[in-house]
Order: sequence, then C-alpha cells, then structure tokens
Amino acid sequence: MNVIETKKLSKFYKQADQDVKALNNVSIKFQKGEFTAIVGPSGSGKTTFLNSIGGLDSPSSGKVFIESNEITKLNSNQLIDFRLKNIGFVFQSYNLIPVLTAKENVEFIMLMQGIVKSERNKRSIELLDSVGMKEQLNRRPNQLSGGQQQRVAVARALASKPKFVLADEPTANLDSSSTSNLLDIMNKLNKEENMTFIFSTHDQRVIERANRIITLEDGKILSDVNVK
Amino acid sequence: MLIKIAWRNVWRNKRRSFITIVAIFIAVFLAIILRSLQLGMYDNMINNVVGSYTGYIQLHSKGYWEDKTIDNAFEFDQATLLNIQKIDGIASILKRVQTGALSSYKDLSKFVYINGIELDKEQRLTDWNKRLIDGKLLTNDSKSIIVAKGIAKYFNLKIGDTLIFIGQGYHGMQAVGAYPVEGVIDMKNPSLNNYSVFMNLQTAQDFVSAYNLITNLIVDKEQYFDENKIVEEIKSNINTQYNDVMTWKEMTPELDQLIEADSAGGILIIMILYMIVSFGIFGTVLMMTQERFYEFGVLISIGMKKSKLIITLIIETIFLSFIGIMSGVIASTPIINYYHYNPLTLFGAGAEQLEAAGFEPIIPMMNTYDIALAHSLIIFCISIIICIYPIFIIWRLQPIKAMKR
Ligand SMILES: Nc1ncnc2c1ncn2[C@@H]1O[C@H](COP(=O)(O)OP(=O)(O)O)[C@@H](O)[C@H]1O
Ligand SMILES: [Mg+2]
Repeated sequence: MNVIETKKLSKFYKQADQDVKALNNVSIKFQKGEFTAIVGPSGSGKTTFLNSIGGLDSPSSGKVFIESNEITKLNSNQLIDFRLKNIGFVFQSYNLIPVLTAKENVEFIMLMQGIVKSERNKRSIELLDSVGMKEQLNRRPNQLSGGQQQRVAVARALASKPKFVLADEPTANLDSSSTSNLLDIMNKLNKEENMTFIFSTHDQRVIERANRIITLEDGKILSDVNVK
Repeated sequence: MLIKIAWRNVWRNKRRSFITIVAIFIAVFLAIILRSLQLGMYDNMINNVVGSYTGYIQLHSKGYWEDKTIDNAFEFDQATLLNIQKIDGIASILKRVQTGALSSYKDLSKFVYINGIELDKEQRLTDWNKRLIDGKLLTNDSKSIIVAKGIAKYFNLKIGDTLIFIGQGYHGMQAVGAYPVEGVIDMKNPSLNNYSVFMNLQTAQDFVSAYNLITNLIVDKEQYFDENKIVEEIKSNINTQYNDVMTWKEMTPELDQLIEADSAGGILIIMILYMIVSFGIFGTVLMMTQERFYEFGVLISIGMKKSKLIITLIIETIFLSFIGIMSGVIASTPIINYYHYNPLTLFGAGAEQLEAAGFEPIIPMMNTYDIALAHSLIIFCISIIICIYPIFIIWRLQPIKAMKR
C-alpha cells in the first residue's frame, strides 16, 4: 500500500494580477521506507508540496491520501489530530519549545498522544540516544547548536511513531559537518526502522544521499528518479 | 506538563514578567489599603453615630418613625425576643423608651429627649465609662438620671442637682417627675449632646405611665456583618403588620448619603488604577503572544490542539496575576491589621472638621478579608478578560502563515 498518494494536486496563489501555480497537477505516490529528496530551485513549490501532503496547507484542487484516508476532506481541527498521530515534522529551524529540555521536547509529543510517563521516559531517552544526543538530555534548545537542535527535532518527529517524516530544508541552516551528521542519522533511522522520510533541499550533497529524487519546477514534476 | 510549560514561560522574559507582577502588586496593594482606609473611616463614622446610639437596626411599632410619641409604644413579648436573639450576626438587643419632654431647672427650661435604657446592655453598645465626664453611672434600681454635657452646660448643673420633666404620658396621662443628676456624659455628637437624658428603663416607663412598653428595640450587630441579612431574618420572626424594622441607612439617610458620595471618589481612583494595570497586563500578553507566533505555528503543526495551547496561555496569565495579587494581599495584611488596632489619628483642620460633625478624628483601617478578596477577584477577572486576545489570535492561527519568515 502507498503511504502517500496525491491526485492532481494543485495550489494557486493570486499575486498582483497573475495566478501563481505553486503546484500544478501533481500526482505521485510514496511507498513505505522510501528516502526521498524533493529538489528544485527556490519557488519551485517544494514547501507547498510538503505542506499539502502534511495537512498543513489545503490545496486549491486535487486530493491527498495518507494510506486510505483522504486528508483533503478533513477540517482544520481534525487535521491537527491527524498530524499528531500520523506525521512527523522537522522544520528548517526553531523547531523546539524553548522552555523545555531536549528530553521534554521529545516527551511532549507523546504526552499529547496520551502515552504514560514510564513509556515516555524510556522512549525519549532511546530516541535521543539514536540521534546521538544522549549526553544533552537536559539541555534547553538555546544550549544546543543548530545541528543538535535539528537532531532533537528528528527524535521528536519519530516520537509519535508517525507513518512518515516530512522535513522542509532541514539542513538549510547547518554547516557541512552537521549536515552530513543529520543525514547519517536520518539514513540510519530509515534503514533500521524502515521509516519513510521525505525532505526538500537544494544542497547537492544532501541530494546525493537520497534513494529517490523528485525534481520540481514551476509546480510540476520535472523528473522522478530512483537512485538505488 | 502544560502547567510546567506555562510556569517556565512566565520566567522566559524575567524582566517583563517582573514588571507586570510589580504593577499588579502595586494596584492590589494600593486598592486594598485605600479601600480599607476608606471603609474603615466610614465604619468608624457609622459607629460613632449609629453604633453608639441609634443602633444598626431598630424595631418600632408601625407609625412610630413618622410620629415619635409615646402613644406609639408597644409591648414586645419575651418569646419573640428570644427568637430574634438567636439570629446570626446579632451582638445584642436592647429595649428603650424614648420620649420628648420639657425640662426645667431654676428659671431655665429646655426641650430634652429622655431615653429609658437597660443600662448594663447599653454598656455593650457604648462604653459609657469612657464617655462619662462627671459623676457616676446609674445603678439598676437608681431613679436618677445621666445628662449629656450640652444639657449640663445649659443649666449649669452639678451632680446632685434635680431636673424637673414635664411631658406627655401614655394615652393622655400626665407625665411629671423630678430626677437628681448622677452623671454627665459626652455623646461625641453635638446634637445628641444637646438633648440626651438617660434613666433606667423602668423609671422612664413609670414617668410616661407606659408599664412594660417600649418605643424602640435596638439591635446591635457584630462587626462587618451585613445588616440587611439580619433585617430579613428579623422580619420573618415578627408580625410586620404591627412592627417596622429599619436599618441605620433608613434612620439616618444623611450619613448614608455622605458616605456614598465620598466612597464614589475612592472607587474612581481605584478604577483608574485598574485601568492602568489592565493596559500593563494587556501589553505583556500582547508581546507574549506576538513573540511566540512562530512557536505557536510549530506547536499546532506537530499536533498540539489549539485548546491546549490556549489553556497554557491562560495558565501563564493566571500565574502572573496570581503572584502579583498574592504578594499585594500578603503585603497589605499586616499594615491593615496594625492600623485597625492602632488607628491613624488626624490632626489640625481635618480633625476639627470631623469632630464638629460629631465624629472621632481617627481612622481605623477595616480589617476584613472581603476587601482583599474583592480586589483580587477584580484583577483576576481583568487578566482572564485580557486572555480573550490571545485566545482569538490562536483560534484563528494558521500554522504555515505563522511560520512564514
Ligand atoms: N502564501 C503565498 N502567497 C502567494 N504566493 C505564494 C505563497 N506561498 C508560496 N507562494 C508562491 O508559490 C510558489 C512556490 O513557493 P514554495 O512552495 O515556497 O517554493 P519553494 O519551497 O520551492 O521555494 C512561489 O512562487 C511562491 O512565491
Ligand atoms: Mg521552501
């Protein structure tokens, strides 16, 4: 079964007197365990695409299915709940709640899912360990480097046991060693846990790490290549 | 966890939170002190006039208040009296016969107001020992009188001199009597000092031939107890066809109006104070919301319900106002208690003015928790109302818009 399927997904914006087609009839499928990079120049529609399949943005037309659920039918409150239970997010920056420690940030999402304390405790430590942040459990975001913050964000995204993780330019604000470190971790989680990752980037070194590369241009799929 | 987040958020911008808390503290503190001072002053004024003579509540036969003659006297049965005595908030109940009479001494004469009283009970209402300026107090079976200092001065009376009273007795009877002066008292009120004469209840009843009858039943309440509640209770125990129950506000409307007018000024000051604080809290909440707009976007994106986010913000605001309120209440309590037992004493012109109007020139602060409670609740409600702004913002918030940089 497909984890994600879009059917003729379009998003139009009215800018000045002309219509901008941020997404133009995008129909695409994602399978479980894929490690996909969405690439393309700035303004090509990467963010719009990720927001649409993540239930953060509603398309102008077309449908999005997550497994068998048509999320384009859900209202904004249902979507909040759907995101909590099914999707992990990593944003470009400032992902974490500043007043919570790394561990509390990871636990927070499980708390909202109603997971009991002992389980939260165990799993948050495990996850932070798997992203190499075991030593910084009790640090607050402002005591962590940008790369460390992104690793905590990845741990948090996985905490809810999502069906897939969406990451919009997760390495945009990182130096090259932090970038490759984060990619290593995502790669490892993809392999070991068979977790589906979809991330956007325009960094060539990041693109090289993907199994599948989807290139967007003017809201359309220019190419869709399976690398391995 | 929401509470933990809220609590930590309060201290995120320590300086701002501190300023907000201080603003709330000052408002609550000043409001409580100001109000305690004001209400304490009124209470003292009321006490001076009402508490020591009129009583907070009086019971008369119907028609007495309009036509204060002895013919409107009534008999109050013991059973009802016992029932009334059980009512919550009543400190004591005293019977009086009050009647006007012409007094004369040597070749002078003067209209006076005779009060037949139950002396030992009246003692509890007014500290007669403190007010006695010459002679001594009546004993239970004495047939002598105590006169207020104005009368003593008018007739130039000395202890032991005898005053003659001529008046109207019950149902057309003659009322004539001669009574030796046993004491002189200061009623702390110019008009009361000019007219008041006191004798034992029974002596007065004999004087007007109104055996077993009284004209006024004075009900004294416990401090700060709501007199209207007591009135309601009394009314349910008596036959209101024959008897009226009046509060001091009805009996001395001038005093009530004076207090109301003065009180309005104080409330206005406090309202201005609250307005300033409201803007302060609002400013803080506004900045708190604006600064965290992006963060709210992230939280909603990853699946935090808007209602939970709103609750966090409300808890945060409650923390802020609660700390301010509590510190205000705690700081004001010892001050109020101190000045309740050691009243402020006025000097100079202000003091003279008060004394001329018949009041003691002191201001004891009112030490009831009602004041603190009322003002804490007001600030609390203000901060809750202010939360409407972030609630509105969060309710409408679209995560991708909030996270756009
Ligand atoms: N809220 C918006 N209002 C108007 N135009 C928008 C909005 N969001 C995106 N766009 C436009 O849609 C196009 C795609 O944007 P985006 O998805 O952010 O591209 P990318 O992430 O690849 O840089 C761009 O031309 C952008 O200007
Ligand atoms: Mg983008």
